[in-house]
Amino acid sequence: MMDSIEGFVNVILGLLFTPQIFVPLVYPGLLTAAVMAIVIIWLERKVAAKVQLRYGPLYVTKRMGGVTQLVADLIKFFFAEVIVPRDVDKLPFKLGPALLLTFSLLPVVALPVSGQFEAFRSDATLFLAVALLSVGPIYVIIVGWASNNKFALIGGLREGYLLVCYELPVFISALAMAVLYGSLDLVELVRMQGPGLWGALLNPFAAVSFLVATFMSTSRFPFEIAEAESEIVMGPYTEYSGICYGLCMAYSYIKLYVKSILFALVFLGGWLPTVWPFTLDPTLPGLIVAFKAAAVMLVGVFLRAVYPRYRIDQALQIGWRPLFALSTASLVWSLFMVGVKVGGWV
Amino acid sequence: MTLEVVEKHLELLIGPQHPGSGHMRLVAKLDGDIIVGFDPDVGFVHRAVEKIAETKGYVQIIPLVERPPLVDCVNVNLGYVLALEKLLGVEPPPQASYLRVLAAELNRVASHLYGIAIHAIMIGSSTMFMWPLADREVLLELLQDLSGARVTYSYVIPGGVRRGLPEGFKEKALKAFRYLRRRLRDYDDLFLSNPVTVNRLRGVGVIEMRDAVNLGIVGPNLRASGVPYDVRRAEPYCVYSDLDFEVMTRREGDAYSRLLVRIGEIEQSMKIVEQCLDKNPSGPILHESFLRGLSPKARAYMEQTGRVRFPALFSALKPPQGEVSVRVEAGRGELFFYVVSDGSPTPYRLRMVTPSFRNLAAFRHVMVGNRLADIPAIYGSLDYFPPEADR
Repeated sequence: MMDSIEGFVNVILGLLFTPQIFVPLVYPGLLTAAVMAIVIIWLERKVAAKVQLRYGPLYVTKRMGGVTQLVADLIKFFFAEVIVPRDVDKLPFKLGPALLLTFSLLPVVALPVSGQFEAFRSDATLFLAVALLSVGPIYVIIVGWASNNKFALIGGLREGYLLVCYELPVFISALAMAVLYGSLDLVELVRMQGPGLWGALLNPFAAVSFLVATFMSTSRFPFEIAEAESEIVMGPYTEYSGICYGLCMAYSYIKLYVKSILFALVFLGGWLPTVWPFTLDPTLPGLIVAFKAAAVMLVGVFLRAVYPRYRIDQALQIGWRPLFALSTASLVWSLFMVGVKVGGWV
Repeated sequence: MTLEVVEKHLELLIGPQHPGSGHMRLVAKLDGDIIVGFDPDVGFVHRAVEKIAETKGYVQIIPLVERPPLVDCVNVNLGYVLALEKLLGVEPPPQASYLRVLAAELNRVASHLYGIAIHAIMIGSSTMFMWPLADREVLLELLQDLSGARVTYSYVIPGGVRRGLPEGFKEKALKAFRYLRRRLRDYDDLFLSNPVTVNRLRGVGVIEMRDAVNLGIVGPNLRASGVPYDVRRAEPYCVYSDLDFEVMTRREGDAYSRLLVRIGEIEQSMKIVEQCLDKNPSGPILHESFLRGLSPKARAYMEQTGRVRFPALFSALKPPQGEVSVRVEAGRGELFFYVVSDGSPTPYRLRMVTPSFRNLAAFRHVMVGNRLADIPAIYGSLDYFPPEADR
């Protein structure tokens, strides 16, 4: 009897620690994403409070500086009534938040956190991650439309306009890195950054345009335009309440988390500088990636304390002119670097 | 044949339950992102101040008129009391006049800081929302020292002020101004020269000089359009004619220039307060006709503590028949009082025209042609305060 239980537990554990389950559910997937979002939102509020001469979250677990405030908020969201207004398009309205969160988290399956431990091996994981990331905003537009509210509609439209102008620089700067390292495989990309030649050093143009587009796509200030509170209440999510609103709010943070991991992998050397014996076990590389991603996220959320928000037309101008030009320049720069390497021009 | 109703313009009802509307409804007609029609629907916080005033004694009206423009109450208080004194034919002693100006200017700074904070949060800068509101605390402390209250001070009373200058007030005020001047540099670093702020506000919501005059806009909004009109200079009251200050004006007339005019006026107000503290003459703080009404005990109390206990005379103040009008420069612009007395203990009519009420005329004019996202940016730049306009 005992043997069978033990065997059962072992099977479950074995199953849990297979990469195909562990990656989407535990790390870097759902569980880590949730913890990371909670900690980052807490840090965001704490840092902003420090700048603004306030305390920030304090009273929930006072000894730890209120770090579990977000857990309390989450519980509150769970028990708040979810109101579905009479005139909304019910199916997309109800499904929207779940799909939003799903598609913001789905790209983690393509993200390796160490050379050995990955959900599946493909030679196009970079492309896959970027492509999956660009699905989420479509649901923002859908919930904005389904809400049958003018503010939600305007918010959805703003997201739609921004979507085109921030995804293009993301794709082009990702392409620039693929050209530079000659691969679309993220594991290969990190391996190529081995001798300290991090992507951000080799091609700073691509790094900057990718980062700015990331902040634009995740509604960070000064590009918090789709939700602009004083203009259109809460943008596409105006009609949502309870946990549905919680999911919508989590969407941008989860997306920021995933994009930050991608940024860490492509531009900040991924799990480097881990050396040989440690690369066999995925723990240390995983932690390094998480640390780098958290640093990127922190930069993103700190901007709230510094900037007001741009107007939609100004943001579109930034997206289409300097950002697009910068990402294109990064592609040209990559081609030049490849030329230097292959042709030995210099 | 079927008739199809096509809505060409999107009508957006912003408020009164909206984070960016204040206590009013803004009806915006949009063509795409451009505003083609704009109509502020006000009156949600109307409190019938003018009508209630007809049922109150003259001294009881002081706290009543203070309520509508809550963050700028000394100036309103001063305006009303000046009108009342004109009816009574009473001239306050010089020290009281200096103290009135001092309190009014401290309050003006607090009011401008409040307006700047609201303007900042309307374009999304949460830091610039918190900073001025926190720094307003410095001025509230000073006013608390002076009057004993943090809001609605009722500091100015007929014939003088309620309290003299407390011990060590000058040092405290100078220290506060050193702090505020340092903070103004911080505001400049973080907000005023922030490229996003400049992009959001420059060239947005322009009111040309001619339009500003025709619409009857007052205060910093008028001065930002290039009209150097300030009641403190145009028709000096209290001791403003003895004080040296600049009337801040700018030419552009856009949202950014209105913000800069407010910042400039904060500096000028601090300069005025410093002069008041330097010149502050000694002497009584209440007019002698009221001093005579005090009991010997109350007079001894006043001499000992520098605080006035209201003379019994105040409760049944009966100005002679007549009508007066008075203008003062409140934080948001020219404030006008018109009081008619029929010789009874209550006024026959009290008319109070507040600066926000005058600036309301700008909304319909200035919004058209701008973008949806500019509505809060312009609204905040006008420093419009709904309770003050509705009264």
